[in-house]
Amino acid sequence: MRGSARVGDRAALGVAALAIGALVVVPLVRLGQVLTEQHGSSLSRVLHGPGLADAAVHTALLVGTVPILAVTLGSAMALLLRHTDLPLRGMLLVLAVLPLVVPQFVLGYSWSQAYGRGGFTDSLLGLHWTGLEGPVGVIVVLVIDTAPLSFLLTTAGLATRAQPELEHAARLSGAGGWAVLRTVSLPLLRPVFAAELALSFVVTLESFAVPQVLGTPAGFSTLTTRIYADLALASDPDSFVDAVTLAAALVVVAAVVLVPADLVLAPKLRAARTAGAGGVRTALRGRGRGVAGALAISGYTVLAVGLPTVALVAASVTRAVGLPPTPSNWTSANFRTALNAPTIDAIGNSIWLAGCAAFALTALGALVAALERRRAGRALGTAATLTFAIPGSALAVGLLIAYGRWLGGTLALILVAYLAKFLALAHRAASGAVDRLPDAEWQAARTSGARPAVAATTVWLPALGPALLAGWLLVFLGALHEVTMSSLLYSVDNQTLAVAVLNSQELGEVGATAALSVVLTALMLGAGLPVWLGLRAMSRRRTGRARAQRALPLSTPETAGAR
Amino acid sequence: MRGDESPAGSPADRPQDVLVCRDVHVRYGEVAALTDVSLRVGHGEVVALLGASGSGKSTLLNVVAGLVQPSSGEIWIGGRQAAGPAHSTAPEQRAVGMVFQNFALWPHLSVLDTVAYPLRRAGTPARAARATAAGLLDQLGIAHLAERRPAEISGGEQQRVGLARALARRARLYLLDEPTAHLDTHLRTAFQESVLARQRDTGAAVLYATHDAAEALALADRVALVDSGHLLQLAPPAVVYDEPVSLAAGALTGPCSVLTAAHVEPVGAGELSVDLGDGPVTVRGGHARPADARTGLPAAPGVLMVRPNWVELGGPFDGRVVSVAFRGPHTDYRLDHPAGSLLAALPGPARFAVGDRLRWGLSRAWLLGRDDSAAGAQPSAVIAPG
Repeated sequence: MRGSARVGDRAALGVAALAIGALVVVPLVRLGQVLTEQHGSSLSRVLHGPGLADAAVHTALLVGTVPILAVTLGSAMALLLRHTDLPLRGMLLVLAVLPLVVPQFVLGYSWSQAYGRGGFTDSLLGLHWTGLEGPVGVIVVLVIDTAPLSFLLTTAGLATRAQPELEHAARLSGAGGWAVLRTVSLPLLRPVFAAELALSFVVTLESFAVPQVLGTPAGFSTLTTRIYADLALASDPDSFVDAVTLAAALVVVAAVVLVPADLVLAPKLRAARTAGAGGVRTALRGRGRGVAGALAISGYTVLAVGLPTVALVAASVTRAVGLPPTPSNWTSANFRTALNAPTIDAIGNSIWLAGCAAFALTALGALVAALERRRAGRALGTAATLTFAIPGSALAVGLLIAYGRWLGGTLALILVAYLAKFLALAHRAASGAVDRLPDAEWQAARTSGARPAVAATTVWLPALGPALLAGWLLVFLGALHEVTMSSLLYSVDNQTLAVAVLNSQELGEVGATAALSVVLTALMLGAGLPVWLGLRAMSRRRTGRARAQRALPLSTPETAGAR
Repeated sequence: MRGDESPAGSPADRPQDVLVCRDVHVRYGEVAALTDVSLRVGHGEVVALLGASGSGKSTLLNVVAGLVQPSSGEIWIGGRQAAGPAHSTAPEQRAVGMVFQNFALWPHLSVLDTVAYPLRRAGTPARAARATAAGLLDQLGIAHLAERRPAEISGGEQQRVGLARALARRARLYLLDEPTAHLDTHLRTAFQESVLARQRDTGAAVLYATHDAAEALALADRVALVDSGHLLQLAPPAVVYDEPVSLAAGALTGPCSVLTAAHVEPVGAGELSVDLGDGPVTVRGGHARPADARTGLPAAPGVLMVRPNWVELGGPFDGRVVSVAFRGPHTDYRLDHPAGSLLAALPGPARFAVGDRLRWGLSRAWLLGRDDSAAGAQPSAVIAPG
């Protein structure tokens, strides 16, 4: 019995290690190999070629500004929304994370449709923003795209903080609202802020769609858009060497910044997380401030997402560019043109790929999370987390080198890319939940007569269900709108919806691009909303009592427990 | 029911009161967390709030601290209105210090900086604040911990730091919310002693919430019994123990038994004539104030409350031993008697076995109000505090 269990363990460990090796390690090693095999001359030609330094500087500009701005914006919203007396608090929470369900490409494109030359505000009010296409526009849209991540992490950090009374203690020590924020709330969030900065750094470093849509037309190239230009638009050997070099550079930059950050941060974050701690909501007075905060968040969402979405929808139903989006100019022709046979195929491909990736990674993520609880599996968990830091463009180039000979131009290669890129998401979701499972529940099941397999299915699985479903959803949505890697790996016969949108935009077909963007966003919402509602229902059933307690303002667990 | 003092009169009538709560109600939606609570805490007085979990004692502390707004009623601290119908003072502007059940120490600050924190907020320069904080740590015997973080010290030490932080507030009123709930027994006593010592030095008033009857009786000048958001009784420890206003109040301060007497009647000063079925016997004791003055004293048959240590060996009554539990200093016996089941604490090791018959008497008995006649309908009840 014991022997066979151990063999099973080993086999599981082997499967997980093999998967991570094939998905991530092999492509990166091959990337490095190809780079070192290059002749010095072609490498130096690439390094001294035109525009490379520009792309590097532009990327540096983005990673130097976007993370700090996004963390500031997202955390400010999270801190503001913590106040219970904010009117329509629940709705504001949803508004704050709304940009997450809008694909990067769609967000960038809808901004150009809303505020660009000949866009929505231009045709209605004669106002347009000339800086939108260029560095400032790229930075602004990337900040809007990234801020919800910070918002979610800060909100979680506030909710899971070890002690609910730390702010009360400060107030009873004579600290006013601002002093509490400055001396207690913000210092306690420091590790969370650092984690947010690291995450935003990765997201910005590998961002491709926004710079492509808003930067490329203005000649603002980044490492990722240049890789795309090298591989998708050019065909000479130097371009390939250029792409490989840039991909390697992306990996090196990510590793140099993130590995030390992870080594320093991970233990601190783990220490800050204490089981069974309730959230704190300080009911600060000042209704006026609450209303102002609610207005600020709503106004921001309207400008950042609402109006651009309206502009996008308007563009998708308007007959021709430049016409005002009034009912007399409405048409369904854009959708009819856009939804041709290849696009329908692409939609099918996207759903099929996203579904496969989501199911496979939910299983693999859960496996790694379970193995991580043992000493032998810990390295595996770290590896799975670190894969997130590998920029998508670099991963795609590596996969192309490693497996292109056999899988080049097939959907299978795109699927492999999704598996490699989104493993970290599925793993994080599962391991967060596994971490919170008390050992005692497992031990109680075992001492009640359950074999390990039975204990896992009867005690762990029900507890992990919501987390696994959430991980599934993250992967599915992420893969559905993935464009960075897909645009490097697709072929004419095998493309995805996101690639179709990108190509349509490059052809300058405004109406069709807007229509496809609407379809893509609708798919995201159509897949995401039911699952998300199901998740909420599940978590409400699970934590119904705890939630009811927390609904009482400032009630301690003690006072609320008896009622 | 109110406390033992008259709620009438404005707070200005008694300037020695550090805290006055008048008709305080707290409602969370449909749930009443506190109902009509009035109490006063005098200068230098230690008042214990004794109640089970969820009784509302923490809510009362939070109302006084300003962390919870009363739905109605007034809070006066140091002669100034802190909360009332029209206005409410922020917690940081109330002259109170608080010690938390979960210590609530800031993980990012050293012990010294934690204790200096209130002084800094009061505008003391950093160097002076640290010097004062170091002095406080010294007084509490934890000066050697000054540079440590909360995660690096034990629970007992953490709670002393919490106390030092509250003391650094130089308040006239300290609120302690179950400060010993997470401490081991031996640390509990040490912490209580340091609270009392500091309280004597500073002359400050203390409102001390606890669910531990022994702690409340030992520490406090007066004990406030809290149950389901109501203040049942507010009186010195000996009074709440010997003369509870109701069975619920009696059960909060320690184990007690309920006997249904065929006839009970107050005779003379501090004596009762008790008939448990074998004819009347005169016992030292008294009676709870009736809930409604017009109904007068409860009519026979009466419901008697008896503490385990009021039962004596030898006496007019006959009982059969149902269970025996050796407790160290004394032995608990459950006795069966037609008037009810009786818990008796007799000194020394066990001298009787289950099934033995013994003669017993009462050194004291307490006649409960009419409200408790329903409880008396089940004469076998032996009530111990939760």
